[in-house]
Amino acid sequence: MPRAKRTTKQIAQRIDLNYFKRPNRWRTWRFVLSLLLPCLAVLWLAAYGLARNNRIYSSGKMSRAHAVLTEQCASCHLSSAASFRASASDQACLSCHDGPIHHADQVFTPTCSSCHVEHRGQLRLAATAVESCTQCHSNLHTTGGSVPYVQHISDFSSGGHPEFAALRPGFRDPGTIKLNHAIHMKAGLLGPNGARVQLDCDDCHRADSGNQNWRFTGATMQEISAAATSSGPTMTAQNYGPPSRSSARAYMQPVTYAKHCAGCHPLPFDKRFAESVPHDTPEVVHAFVVKRFQDYIAAHPGELREAASTISLPTRPLPISPRVYGSQREWVNARVAEAEELLWRKTCAQCHLLLFAPGADLPKVAKSNITVRWFQHAVFDHEAHRAWTCTSCHSKTTSSQETADVLVPGIRTCETCHHEGAEGAEARCFECHTYHDWSRAKTTKGKVHFSSALQIGRGPASY
Amino acid sequence: MRIDDTHKKWLIASLAIFVVATAIYIPYAMASPHGPSGASALGLTFGIVGFAFMVFAGFLGARKRFPLWRIGRAQTWMRGHLWLGLLALPLIFYHGGFRFGGPLTSALMILLIIVVASGVFGAALQHYLPTVMTAEVPLETIFEQIENVQGQLLDEADQIVGRVTALVSPLATAVPARVAIVTEEVAAITETDIAPLRMFYEREMRPFLEKPGERKHSLADPAQARAMFEGLRTLLPPQIHESVSDLSEICEEERELRRQVRLHHLLHDWLLLHIPLSLALLVLAAVHIVMALRY
Repeated sequence: MPRAKRTTKQIAQRIDLNYFKRPNRWRTWRFVLSLLLPCLAVLWLAAYGLARNNRIYSSGKMSRAHAVLTEQCASCHLSSAASFRASASDQACLSCHDGPIHHADQVFTPTCSSCHVEHRGQLRLAATAVESCTQCHSNLHTTGGSVPYVQHISDFSSGGHPEFAALRPGFRDPGTIKLNHAIHMKAGLLGPNGARVQLDCDDCHRADSGNQNWRFTGATMQEISAAATSSGPTMTAQNYGPPSRSSARAYMQPVTYAKHCAGCHPLPFDKRFAESVPHDTPEVVHAFVVKRFQDYIAAHPGELREAASTISLPTRPLPISPRVYGSQREWVNARVAEAEELLWRKTCAQCHLLLFAPGADLPKVAKSNITVRWFQHAVFDHEAHRAWTCTSCHSKTTSSQETADVLVPGIRTCETCHHEGAEGAEARCFECHTYHDWSRAKTTKGKVHFSSALQIGRGPASY
Repeated sequence: MRIDDTHKKWLIASLAIFVVATAIYIPYAMASPHGPSGASALGLTFGIVGFAFMVFAGFLGARKRFPLWRIGRAQTWMRGHLWLGLLALPLIFYHGGFRFGGPLTSALMILLIIVVASGVFGAALQHYLPTVMTAEVPLETIFEQIENVQGQLLDEADQIVGRVTALVSPLATAVPARVAIVTEEVAAITETDIAPLRMFYEREMRPFLEKPGERKHSLADPAQARAMFEGLRTLLPPQIHESVSDLSEICEEERELRRQVRLHHLLHDWLLLHIPLSLALLVLAAVHIVMALRY
């Protein structure tokens, strides 16, 4: 017998017409989950709220320097009783950091957070974007109207940055010390004790005054240290640059006669004496020479009468009549005149510019004007570049013959490494320039006690 | 809902919005000194529009729950839910600059991704599966009544076997009139003749019908079931082959109902994730808006 074929009615009769009035498992689960998950979300927020920890609302990881304040939202997010908002204001930044103004005549002062962006997990907050600087320097204006600097700077890598000031046309090294680098870099120079030597860059130029000996100086380290102290200030980053990143070996120490020149360039003044005159002012040198000759003639009175001598001329010897000095003073004056003639016209003049005023007994030595720091508006750290040879950057040194040659590298040399892209060294403005005029820095006193800084954040403070 | 030609306008509008948003975002992101930020003017705009799309998508549930609110057709709301909900994802990414940020914002981004991904998954299922169901489940019934119908199939199978058994046993119980017609044809059937049927029914078919959740049963596989019934016919007298066919049809209907259950779960279970997470997303998003404006 065939199975009874279902009719529509029979199919309909299979259905319980009240099924929709009974609970449906799927709908029940949907309802429960639709309540449960939002409630769990609210509970999650409430748990943080009860713990008075607002870090859940943080928009991102703190920078390394501020990481300890991750749960101290109130450190930066200040609120007032009258306002709902609790944004991070300059007031909060300045309570811990001083941020001296950039220039008194700048057109506007950006807020701290517009350049130093927090909650991005940065290693350094000072690593600001190029646009933080070019918002003014791409088209520079001042409140006074005059613009003493290059007006349009866009970035470093793409030709948007001017050549360094010391290398622009018309600029010459203001130093008056006569120095020919090309000669000094040659092989086989006459060194101390008659030896033939080959100078290296660091025989004269070093970034620190550490414990390494100078190869070609004749003095002991103690003599050198004493002479160096008396000859002028030691160059440190703090002398000429902003604090923070520059190391103690950022800039080259000033070249001094005692350390760098004396070994090969002694200052003899008379064949009677092995010693050199002191490397000092003409007045000091004069007094030294006079004293030496006075002591000498007092010990050797017989030299008041000179022995007969001849001068060998090409054709025949020329006899020189012996001279007899009437007094020791007369003898001393003659010897001093001879010595100073040698010194002022040759020995000292070999390096220095001597100025002879009419009627003056002694010359004036022009100030050496050696430039210690070439970039007045930028920082540079030799220590960071110690992997490279000196001539990698100072490529013109071996061919430089003129004192007036400026041997600092140009911007193109820096661009070799410092350019945009994953394979370039840092090329943003902050790498070399600082916004804040740290010469006007004020000392800030800390306001946060160590123990309170490590407590859980209690929401924005009210001020 | 099938994604058909009626979605074309929504697709075009959504693509246009996406292209415009992207065209705005790319130069904005490249020009931002420290990267795009949700607090910037454009970042806020992206966030507001994205949240508005999310809220609109969330209102679909209310529109369906309260159909008397005749604000537009339900189909329009559904299409809007699909396309504007999908658009919310790139807009919120543009809002955050593709950064996840802190704990709350990271949770929001993860929730949004899961909600949109589950929505896309569900939309795909609901586009393809109804056709599959029509083809594979011709005897589709109301899902909530499947258990009831399966019970009825079991009863019907019991009756068919009972009828066959009763015909050969002098002590057989009365059978309904509509199944007693073949009395003269089964009069020659002995107990031995129907033993394979009884054994098959007790060991294979009844357990199959009793446990709808068991998927590894041999009768759950159509080919295997066909072979089993073919083999059973060879062991039974021809007079009861028709009853065997009836039982085979019952098994086929049972398989279809099970197939319908699976397809129904595929079509709807993803909503158990999608709906609760989207509600949590909206709640947390509201909190984020308030606190972000505060800080």
